[in-house]
Amino acid sequence: MTQGQQTESTPLVDPACYAAATAAIRAEAVRLLEAGEVTAVVGYRAGRRAGSAMPEVATTAEAAAQLIFTPGCQNNLALFLSKAKREALPKGKVAVVVKGCDLRALAGLIGESQLKRDEVHVIGVACPGVYGAGADLAKPLAAESLARKCRECKVHLPEGTDVVAGTLPPLPDLAPLEAEELARLEAMTPQERWAFWTEQFARCIRCLACRQVCPFCFCTQCLCDRNRPQAVDTSPRPAGNTAWHIVRAMHLAGRCAGCAECERVCPMDIPLNLLNRKMAQELFELYGFETTMQPQEQGALTSYRDGDDQSFIK
Amino acid sequence: MCIPDKNIYKPYLATIESVVDETPDIRTLRLVFQDEAVRDSFTFRAGQFAEYSAFGFGESTFCIASAPTRSGYIECCFRAVGRVTEALRRLEVGETVGVRGPYGNSFPIEQFFGRNLVFVAGGIALPPLRTLIWQCLDWRDRFGDITIVYGARTESDLVYKHELAEWQGRGDVRLVKTVDPGGNGPNWDGQVGFVPTVLEQAAPSAENTIALVCGPPVMIKFTLPVLEKLGFADEAIYTTLENRMKCGLGKCGRCNVGNVYVCKDGPVFTAAQVKAMPQEF
Amino acid sequence: MAKTLSLDNLHRLVDALLQEGVRVVGPKRTGTLTVYAPLTRGEELELNELPRRSAKETFFPPCETILSFEKRDGRTTVSDPDLDRLPETVLIGVRPCDAAAPGILDAVFSWDYDDPFFLERRKRTTIIGIACTSSDDACFCTAVGLTPDARQGSDLFLVPVEGGGFAVEALDAKGSALKERHAALFTAGGNTVPLPLAEPKVEPLDLEKIRAWLDGNFEHPLWKEIADRCAGCGACAFLCPACHCFDIVDEGGEGSGCRRKHWDACGFGKFTMHASAHNPRDVQPQRYRNRIMHKFKYYRDKFGQTLCTGCGRCIRWCPVGIDIKAVLDEINKKS
Repeated sequence: MTQGQQTESTPLVDPACYAAATAAIRAEAVRLLEAGEVTAVVGYRAGRRAGSAMPEVATTAEAAAQLIFTPGCQNNLALFLSKAKREALPKGKVAVVVKGCDLRALAGLIGESQLKRDEVHVIGVACPGVYGAGADLAKPLAAESLARKCRECKVHLPEGTDVVAGTLPPLPDLAPLEAEELARLEAMTPQERWAFWTEQFARCIRCLACRQVCPFCFCTQCLCDRNRPQAVDTSPRPAGNTAWHIVRAMHLAGRCAGCAECERVCPMDIPLNLLNRKMAQELFELYGFETTMQPQEQGALTSYRDGDDQSFIK
Repeated sequence: MCIPDKNIYKPYLATIESVVDETPDIRTLRLVFQDEAVRDSFTFRAGQFAEYSAFGFGESTFCIASAPTRSGYIECCFRAVGRVTEALRRLEVGETVGVRGPYGNSFPIEQFFGRNLVFVAGGIALPPLRTLIWQCLDWRDRFGDITIVYGARTESDLVYKHELAEWQGRGDVRLVKTVDPGGNGPNWDGQVGFVPTVLEQAAPSAENTIALVCGPPVMIKFTLPVLEKLGFADEAIYTTLENRMKCGLGKCGRCNVGNVYVCKDGPVFTAAQVKAMPQEF
Repeated sequence: MAKTLSLDNLHRLVDALLQEGVRVVGPKRTGTLTVYAPLTRGEELELNELPRRSAKETFFPPCETILSFEKRDGRTTVSDPDLDRLPETVLIGVRPCDAAAPGILDAVFSWDYDDPFFLERRKRTTIIGIACTSSDDACFCTAVGLTPDARQGSDLFLVPVEGGGFAVEALDAKGSALKERHAALFTAGGNTVPLPLAEPKVEPLDLEKIRAWLDGNFEHPLWKEIADRCAGCGACAFLCPACHCFDIVDEGGEGSGCRRKHWDACGFGKFTMHASAHNPRDVQPQRYRNRIMHKFKYYRDKFGQTLCTGCGRCIRWCPVGIDIKAVLDEINKKS
């Protein structure tokens, strides 16, 4: 799938592939709503600004005909199927547009019994990639504006969905910046690494965008909102910030689907997906566990096998 | 009332002088300011509230439940339901709490002179009226008939039990106390029924009368139509709103109902004012 | 005669102020983002980018200690920070959307009760504003009554001019004093032809009509339509130059600790929740409605001002792409 020479700022793929996915999503969404097969289609619609997109809960064929798929469609819409955002959806079966990374989250939610597979009609989309945080949305998607997660994506083409919108164009090979960054951190001494994260967490303003966009942060009562006892200080100061981000990472270990939304939405540029990715890596090394596009009955940390690594018990 | 400190968030220190367990989970604290100057100068009006702190846990908002006519101390009454109230409940006589206030508006008692008063309260919502009731009783000759309709789920949920007995024994107050059906024990000498029903049966005259209503939202919801039926105009009905507050000073931005800041424009409102607000409380 | 200041001299001005012991805060690149931060030398000043967070934190920090307490031998003592020790500050390189906001917030921090933490910092801070020569499609200052060269809130104002440097205008006593104190850095004359301003290309808004529409439409399907997608985080409020909601918390232990005031947001589900779990704003559309109402109706009702300066941060950083300008356009069309 390698294209020849590619500089960071040349358009990544032919925009026509997004247009084709858009047309397919619209056709499917209109059909589903007209046939009464679903009460809503959770997809994307264009925003006011050039190239921008936002989640849309389409409940009419007219609204469905406005759905889009563009590089601006960054959101993981599996969020809307989690308990935390379910109130935004009408009752009954719904359809949801998912990229491969989002599908892994949806599968995770099904695995955690948050919903049943037959309660949702899954419209997968062949996704060449989306913009990263802070990208200029008015310019065509290029390697430099591509989300870091997309550079190493292994799920461009969703599997196990009810339908797949669009086809995948040839994609260039890109340097795995996130893996490189993770390797850089792993090569550090624990003191250096602690210093790195201390500096990152110091910037946190506790807007909780990372929590609010995470499909897996669906706890009715987040540990970090509890105050009897106060487990984590709520003020944006180093102690509470560090506690919050460690709690977040640990609670997502074995569940995080790698959509990296937490990192994208962080207004303070904290590279949160490095934590998630490190957890995923550990779980793979220890238990051979990986999040997949198919629901799994048990996660790495919710099951026990005789051969499981126990070396951490001292 | 003086604010002696530039730091508007700094509370006065007060010592818990006595503790009364009104019900298994509702407690009254009588507080005496540690600074003599504050003790002498602290004044407030019935209906005003304060921020009470349990240091290390935070602040919580309640009305000042004692009467403005009784000086030297203030009282607050609260149910232990959260972090701060549970911490306040753990404090013992002699220990220190913080008090910021008094804040908010108050009952316009001067406008009530020469009129009959009907107090209607439910459960833990008697304290905001109790401050006014005692002030009126201390100034008894300035008011006409005084009727108090007070109810709670069960006998043990009634607060200020001794005072209820005292009011019952006075010849110049009509006390109608009630408990919800099933909440009465073998020796209950009051009514059995929900507050709005009992109020309707008691049928106080609306003629030259002010009604003062405090209770859980559902009680207020069903009491207002009864008062209307009895002939009370919305302008003659007063209540208090109890939104969540932090600063009490009109700054932190959470107690507003529409453009009304409960902490500054309230907590006392007429039914007419409440009906004009967006229904978001 | 008009005075000008070269970029080098602007940097020298920062250095001179620092040498006098003045705290100088300005846009500074730290890692991947630019924020308003204390400068250690003039060259750190980054004027080409709107800082990620607004300048409000100079007056209203994300978190600050409002008192500390200690229990010892059965006695509790409380002490508060010495506000007289707040440093004299120059806030430099502030775009009009950020410079205007603190003045708008004076109203809420001073009605009846003066919040000394905010107001003392205001008193001790001189704001050097700068006309805006770069904007993006999230900017909408012109739609809320400001302009890329609005002087509102600035004590001293810089207008970038052709050939580099700035035309300088002192707007009040604070600004004049600063200029006088460093008169040698300012040149009389020089090129004073301003660079083209960054006029955002946006639909105008009729704020009075919007207020009137909000007044009559507390209940409207629009709120659900817009805000069902709202994820309920605080990014918009925390980046906003005008959002002023805060929480007050005790941290530390029972024996000793601090009471702190920290940023809070009306988008959080628990913001208005009572200890009894009753919540007047139970669902996200009610919370988003409060955000819009607060900015474009309640604050106008109370203080005659709009709690928005059109900086566009909430648009750029909303995780779910909610665009307040698009929302206002929609309301503007309806009203």
